[in-house]
Amino acid sequence: MTDSDVLNYVKATARLLEIPLDEARASAVALQLGRTLVMAGQLEAFSLPMHEEMSEIFCPAEFPAADPEPEAL
Amino acid sequence: MTPPASPAASPAAQLPATPRLASAIAAGDISAREALDACLQRIAASDLRVNAFTGHTFERARREADAVDAMRSAGAVLPPLAGVPYAVKNLFDVQGEVTLAGSKVNQKNAAASHDAFLVTQMQRAGAVLVGMLNMDEYAYGFTTENTHFGPTRNPHKLSCTAGGSSGGSGAAVAAGQVGVALASDTNGSIRVPSSFCGVWGLKPTFGRLSRRGSYPFVHSIDHLGPLADSVEGLALAYDALQSPDPIDPGCHAKRVQPINAVRSSGIKGLRIARLSGYFDAYSTPAAARASAQAAAALNATATTLWPDAALARAAAFITTASEGGRLHLADLRTQMQDFEPLSVDRFLAGALQPAAWYLRAQQFRRVYRERVLALFQDWDVLIAPATPLSAPEIGAQWLDINGEQYPCRPSIGLLTQPISYSGCPVVTAPMWPGSNGELPIGVQLIAAPWREDLAVRAAQVLQDSGVAHLKSVNL
Repeated sequence: MTDSDVLNYVKATARLLEIPLDEARASAVALQLGRTLVMAGQLEAFSLPMHEEMSEIFCPAEFPAADPEPEAL
Repeated sequence: MTPPASPAASPAAQLPATPRLASAIAAGDISAREALDACLQRIAASDLRVNAFTGHTFERARREADAVDAMRSAGAVLPPLAGVPYAVKNLFDVQGEVTLAGSKVNQKNAAASHDAFLVTQMQRAGAVLVGMLNMDEYAYGFTTENTHFGPTRNPHKLSCTAGGSSGGSGAAVAAGQVGVALASDTNGSIRVPSSFCGVWGLKPTFGRLSRRGSYPFVHSIDHLGPLADSVEGLALAYDALQSPDPIDPGCHAKRVQPINAVRSSGIKGLRIARLSGYFDAYSTPAAARASAQAAAALNATATTLWPDAALARAAAFITTASEGGRLHLADLRTQMQDFEPLSVDRFLAGALQPAAWYLRAQQFRRVYRERVLALFQDWDVLIAPATPLSAPEIGAQWLDINGEQYPCRPSIGLLTQPISYSGCPVVTAPMWPGSNGELPIGVQLIAAPWREDLAVRAAQVLQDSGVAHLKSVNL
């Protein structure tokens, strides 16, 4: 995808979402989105099976049923 | 116990550190009102230069301090933070005050009708609220270069950033204005200012503390927590903040798990390693020295790799942009001109992001969680720098990390974002690697979810060994 493609995407989606962007602002936003595009490409290249579901309201781990035993500390 | 210096001795004298101050008030060596007066004098003497505060609650503070003194006069047992002055990032609701979240847009909003959940918890613990603190607009930044309220300056070098987005919180503690400050951390906003300002910070497990009554940024990553002048102060504040909250859907904790009582248990038997790989690649020599110093003090000779750190950072970046942009979409449509010029383009880019990117990031997050949990089968505490370097100059556009140039504002969080995306708790320890004019760099002490106790035990060892500590500032 070229810089011009990103700029055109920004202008089109901004119109769709009714966000008024002048030319200078659109270019600045495209610069930011271009950086994110690189990261999105990294994630896209990561192998994720189709059945992997999305994160729910994220919980890093189940809350422990009991406090740690002092002996285990 | 040595009595604290009389607050009247110097108009700008710093109060003793939080645990010593709380003990002095409990013992009657100093009244809560005297402590408050000293705190207010310190703020008055220093904040024109630091610009940590955006608002004050001095009348409320006097009422709260007087209530503590009345309790003591009546012979009541005082709560753990009785009379200790503190302040909050201005995204916490404070009754009667407009919750600015660092913005101009919010200034037209009605004042909060109730305190945020965590402010109520601090009040129950006897702490005295003195005001609200500066931040990056809507928490989207790492430098607290706020165009509406002015930049917060680093108390150790006023030309440098205090970090962000909770820069006011870090600077207020570093400047000795308050011993404890509350803040939020989505991608590093407690850990970065802790690192740059040389103070202690705790980003708890995601879902540990209620976020009710705080202004959101990214619902699926937002954490709240304290910064403090000592490990004891950090633990006292964190324990005071804990309480299950069934009304906050993001609060997963079912009961309180205090850490102050186990803080001094030492690290015998703990498996501690330093993170290498990604974390070495994005550490300047000074940051690497800080991490190595912490590892040495903790007898951590092994290194290990954090799983998928670069991908996690990318996913955190995308999640943040999408949720943050969507949150402010209505205002972006109608009053874009009132947004922070330094971050409005990122909010706009986030609002326009393809849904596929966001969904991919959330899908990745489940897999990532399992890999992180697997790592903690082998380790109890992991060490990594909190920031790639010490505080940059205010206005810096680029960071030089080992010869590579990175855009400054989004890149300061390179080492914090992978960790917060996992939800793991982190204590940030203030280290002084001795470069760049003695500016501090924080070190992250990372534990498995719900194991803040392990991180704070390591922190206590670092403090006791003398390698991690605050330094006084001349303001």
